[in-house]
Amino acid sequence: MDFRQLELNPRIISAAKKANLKSARDILGLSGPDLQRLTRLSMSDVQRLQAAVAVAFRKSPPVTALQLYRGECPDLEPRHRLTLGCPTLDCLMRGGIPLSGITELAGESGAGKTQIGLQLCLSVQYPQVHGGLGSGAVYICTEDAFPIKRLHQLITQQPRLRPDLPTDLLHGLCFSDNIYIEHAADLGVLQTCLSQRVPILLARGLARLVVLDSVAALFRCEFTAEESSKRARHLVALASTLQHLSHSFNAPVLCINQVTDVVEHCDASQFRCGLVESAVLPALGMAWANQLLVRLMMRRLGGVPSLGAGIGAARRLEVVYAPHLPRASCLCHIGEEGVKGVLSPDSAHIVSSHMDLYGKTEV
Amino acid sequence: MQRPLSSFAFAPAVKVKLINAGFHTAADLCDLRPLQLSKESGISQQEAVEVLQTVRHDASQGAGAGSRMTALELLGREQAMGAIVTFCSALDSVLGGGMPVGKTSEVCGAPGVGKTQLCIQLAVDVQIPVCFGGLGGQAVYVDTEGSFMVQRVVDVAKAAVEHCSLLADDAEQREALKVFTVEDILSKLYLFRCHDYVELLAETYLLPDFLSQHPEVRLVVIDSIAFPFRHDFEDLSQRTRLLNGLAQQLAQMANQYNVAVVLTNQMTTKVGNGQSKLVPALGESWGHAATQRLILHWEGEQRLASLYKSPSQREATVLYQITGAGFRDVLSSDHASADSSAIPSGNAPKRLRTQADDHQT
Repeated sequence: MDFRQLELNPRIISAAKKANLKSARDILGLSGPDLQRLTRLSMSDVQRLQAAVAVAFRKSPPVTALQLYRGECPDLEPRHRLTLGCPTLDCLMRGGIPLSGITELAGESGAGKTQIGLQLCLSVQYPQVHGGLGSGAVYICTEDAFPIKRLHQLITQQPRLRPDLPTDLLHGLCFSDNIYIEHAADLGVLQTCLSQRVPILLARGLARLVVLDSVAALFRCEFTAEESSKRARHLVALASTLQHLSHSFNAPVLCINQVTDVVEHCDASQFRCGLVESAVLPALGMAWANQLLVRLMMRRLGGVPSLGAGIGAARRLEVVYAPHLPRASCLCHIGEEGVKGVLSPDSAHIVSSHMDLYGKTEV
Repeated sequence: MQRPLSSFAFAPAVKVKLINAGFHTAADLCDLRPLQLSKESGISQQEAVEVLQTVRHDASQGAGAGSRMTALELLGREQAMGAIVTFCSALDSVLGGGMPVGKTSEVCGAPGVGKTQLCIQLAVDVQIPVCFGGLGGQAVYVDTEGSFMVQRVVDVAKAAVEHCSLLADDAEQREALKVFTVEDILSKLYLFRCHDYVELLAETYLLPDFLSQHPEVRLVVIDSIAFPFRHDFEDLSQRTRLLNGLAQQLAQMANQYNVAVVLTNQMTTKVGNGQSKLVPALGESWGHAATQRLILHWEGEQRLASLYKSPSQREATVLYQITGAGFRDVLSSDHASADSSAIPSGNAPKRLRTQADDHQT
């Protein structure tokens, strides 16, 4: 930090330099009495120092919500979302996945979480006017090998999933070229990947979506029950890395999570967070739940599919919490072309009560 | 002039030196020059200058304007400050009218229970015009998590405007409605985005200047204060010192600039006696930071708000719900949420105050 830029008495600046405070973070990260002890300045001088450093450190001036609404600050509030590939699912999410912050998708095995992850990897490659981000995706596998055959099937069936798109666009895009696959078998490898390779891809604009499939797998085997605080620290560190990447590059991050059985005891309701009728809850506890922006759950419903041909039973995609979404759910089917939402009569209310992003009412 | 020197805000070392040199009251100091004072008491010249400036400033202010007040004056001042309604009348009555202006309040809860929704509701409600019973002020929203979505603010603002337009009786209220539109509400809500704790601390040092430039601000929301302080802090005692300093600055700011400061906190699992329960994050010492503490929690499918700590209100728990229009009451019969008004129409301030009086007796 350049001390000469600060509007301060030279005496205060020299005291700060003598106390070996070199950067703004050093000065702002200490409390008032700590700084007084280090620099031997009076309280009012310390306050002046902190105020001057804060002015220099502040990266962006405050904005009003009206400016955000009008789209004058695209970094803070990009006026679009990443589409899920199906208009019904987009309606549930009021546009799609938010561009900054961690979105979690939790569910039992076989529920269809990887299908959504793959579908997003394809929809991100379309240009912005069609709901994508015009860039590729990074898919980090921690459990099984990457489902490459399914990806090829989805690619060939894209025209069926997205009939609204012009065919020359669909044929012009080489989908598999833009999906970068990483395998991370343990935490160390994942941290290396996230701190070295993924930022380069995001910085060069080659990717604008990060899918982590799955986050629970790494944490559930490496830490024993007694090491819960250590696990919580690592979880928070991982979440912080992902959030930093997401905010810096305005790239959505989708974390796929497993579920855990609920052990019933008297205080269970506070941990359930409103999911009363569920026999399972998303794994990794409160430490991880506090880091998320949006939490979705995918459930596999019993019974025979009644509408058309789908792979197995119907699914239900539920919004557990999000700052801008009500708790709602939507039936969906997994077909050859991907995950498609189904408008059943009781879910029709989702459509009517939701408005499109900035004012228009969707039918 | 007879004010003892020990009551001034000098550093303890300076006070000791002055008292040892024989200076006990402000009157002893007023005729001296800095050089004389520093020679006689052994403090540095810089410190002597500051001591004399403080003493002279205090003397010129007369009978300690701002530093001494009778309890009656204080009561009048508190009642004049008002409160910000939350549109959930049960919660408003528990809080004594709403979120108190001039004090710091903390809202804790598990993810998804409604803390951000309450903050957005307050940021809109603070702007309700005075003739409808609101404060007609502006709001500052410090977002550390990235959960501020303009889409949601627009929903809540639209519902608030509709609610007020249904209530508008007389010409004054209809006049006020002309400047209470969604765009006006959005233009008076200032957003500060902080990505880590250093940025948050920097913004707190700059907030007093901002508040003096925008004297109409009546609400400062920090959503959430736990988030930036819960990662990468190896030295927890440094974190406690920073949080204590922050709490003091916010309390001082609330008092000096007449704003309500609302902080959001997360919950963490505490394991003890073979049982685990949820407690507010940031440690035990943070529990003392805010004047009032509200805990939002789940009870099955219902959301409950408990007033956990308050100097003037009784502890109580109420039900609430989050609708498309925002933070609302839970009605026993299934009416549309448009009916659940928390703003009494007409002479609203009087009614709010008698409710508060009833509670405090």
